[in-house]
Amino acid sequence: MDKKDTYLIVVAIVICIVISCLSPFIASSYPDGLEKSAEDSGLKEDFSVEEINGIPDAIFPDYAFANDPDNQVLQIVALIIGAIVTLGVGYAVAAIVRSRN
Amino acid sequence: MHIPDGFIPIAQCLIYYVILIVALYFSVKWARSNLDEKRIPLIAVLAAGIFAIMSMNMPIPFGTSGHMVGGALVAIVFLAPEAAVLVFTVVLLIQALIFGDGGITALGANVLNMAIVGGFVGLYTFKGLEGIIGKYAAAGVGAWLATVLAALACAIEMAIAGTFPVNVGIPSMVLYHFFIGIIEAVLTVVVLVALDKFRPDLLAWNKSEGDA
Repeated sequence: MDKKDTYLIVVAIVICIVISCLSPFIASSYPDGLEKSAEDSGLKEDFSVEEINGIPDAIFPDYAFANDPDNQVLQIVALIIGAIVTLGVGYAVAAIVRSRN
Repeated sequence: MHIPDGFIPIAQCLIYYVILIVALYFSVKWARSNLDEKRIPLIAVLAAGIFAIMSMNMPIPFGTSGHMVGGALVAIVFLAPEAAVLVFTVVLLIQALIFGDGGITALGANVLNMAIVGGFVGLYTFKGLEGIIGKYAAAGVGAWLATVLAALACAIEMAIAGTFPVNVGIPSMVLYHFFIGIIEAVLTVVVLVALDKFRPDLLAWNKSEGDA
């Protein structure tokens, strides 16, 4: 990887960390468009999600630590972990499927 | 617009998974001949950035909120909706498995809306308009339309699933995403301007046909 790509990744990680540090504090807690449409359609909040058997619990449900879901510092940690994991998996997948000519 | 588990019956989820598998086949085929080594970091960076920005819900009217999705952005950066399918399969899988956002059973439908519908609508709107209104305006309109039509697709899936009634789900989804699309348009243009300024070599629109 050349220097320009290292910068790209470093800048991306910095941007992701900045967004992750801000989101737990400034992101709107209003329902999103799909959730609001579900409300408009008369569905109860958290309709059915728990009722499907066999789907494992998420490690960080709703981008938080399960044992302390309102802790905003831990929400930041969860988001940063997610961004780094996504970066790594994205890199690995792209490296596997890239062209070889 | 992450559809959670439970909104779509399993049998219908399977149909969306078949669409996902077909889309992934074409995406891997695209990557094998078009994704050069130089742009591997770009895929990774877009995936991570999209993961992060999706946590940033911004308020819109009607007491609701929305965040950037990025399907149009990825498709325009690579001039290929196949790239959006790759990136979104990674992002949505991680969100569903690790963060409980969106659904594991709904993965196929979510990739269909955000990457396939979003990517195609964004890219082809961009291509259709760039000669008339310029590339950034065209990308903005493409990103807005991608959001609205992805929401419409989602509302239709919800209607087929019997989860949202057609007469409520479609107007609600389109109305809210009319505004969420503005967020999408602004951020898509910001990222494209930044990439064109700092790494023009990574944007497919800066390549001639021959060396793409």
